[in-house]
Amino acid sequence: MSDKRMNEIDVKILRMLQKDARTPFKEMADHCNVTTDTIKNRFIALKEKGVIRGSTIVIDPKKMGLGNLVILGIRIVERYSDSVLNMIKKIPGLCVVTKVIGEYEVEAIFLLGDIEQIGTTKEIIEDFPQVKSVDIGIFVDKPLLCPKNFEFD
Amino acid sequence: MKFDKIDNAIIKNLKVDARTSFREIARKLKVSPDTVSNRFEKLKKEEIIIDTTVVIDPSKIGYSFIVRFGIKVKPAYSSQILDKIITIPSVIVASKIVGIYDLIAISVARNFQHLCDLRDTILEMPYVERVEIGIWVKTMELSPQYFLI
Repeated sequence: MSDKRMNEIDVKILRMLQKDARTPFKEMADHCNVTTDTIKNRFIALKEKGVIRGSTIVIDPKKMGLGNLVILGIRIVERYSDSVLNMIKKIPGLCVVTKVIGEYEVEAIFLLGDIEQIGTTKEIIEDFPQVKSVDIGIFVDKPLLCPKNFEFD
Repeated sequence: MKFDKIDNAIIKNLKVDARTSFREIARKLKVSPDTVSNRFEKLKKEEIIIDTTVVIDPSKIGYSFIVRFGIKVKPAYSSQILDKIITIPSVIVASKIVGIYDLIAISVARNFQHLCDLRDTILEMPYVERVEIGIWVKTMELSPQYFLI
């Protein structure tokens, strides 16, 4: 992306798609004063470069009967974070698991059905011999996405 | 609200690719594109589908890490503070939470200075009592279908 103007178009495309992933190429083209083909090519290039990983809908899990988003803060015996990560990966309902520099060694976010399932999931993780403790945070209401998700230069 | 075959198909298809054309979904279901379009609008109106968005890789646009802020606030002020946190540009998702913190915010950060600035911005908000930071490293299994980073 050596062409400066192209960079500006890329940013515009990303911003528009963050707000509404279904924005038609034609609409984006009009907004940027370029042809629809230019937008299409930039879009494909952004996908090929991995800048755009995909597109999706944000749903309200509760209205889908999917229950609760839960974050687990996990303290573990040091040096074992990789094996704990791999074990957590296999637990149903997982959205994301990560190593952390901070209060906890590992954090995981799950989408779980009910309180009982939250309890069971916590117990499964507590049963790992490398795990010292598990703290729970349950998301209240639906998580809010920043309108533009995040900005970039 | 009860979901039927059409609702489920719309949600399933758009979760994987929000740009899937209504015509394509309609063809699979053997209904008209208008039916799909109307249902989509209804799902949005009922706030079952909150939004459609692209999933961007933060590392490709100059962000070095993802940070989780755990925020303790003065009781009864969490909604007010949440409204402010959601306007911070690099915050991806924020929510009230029961348990370890009062509020949680997940953000991208360009570098260490940016991370400190973000923490200070939150700390300087009235009624915020404490901000704890967890820097996410080696993050795996991001489910692009739901969790948006």
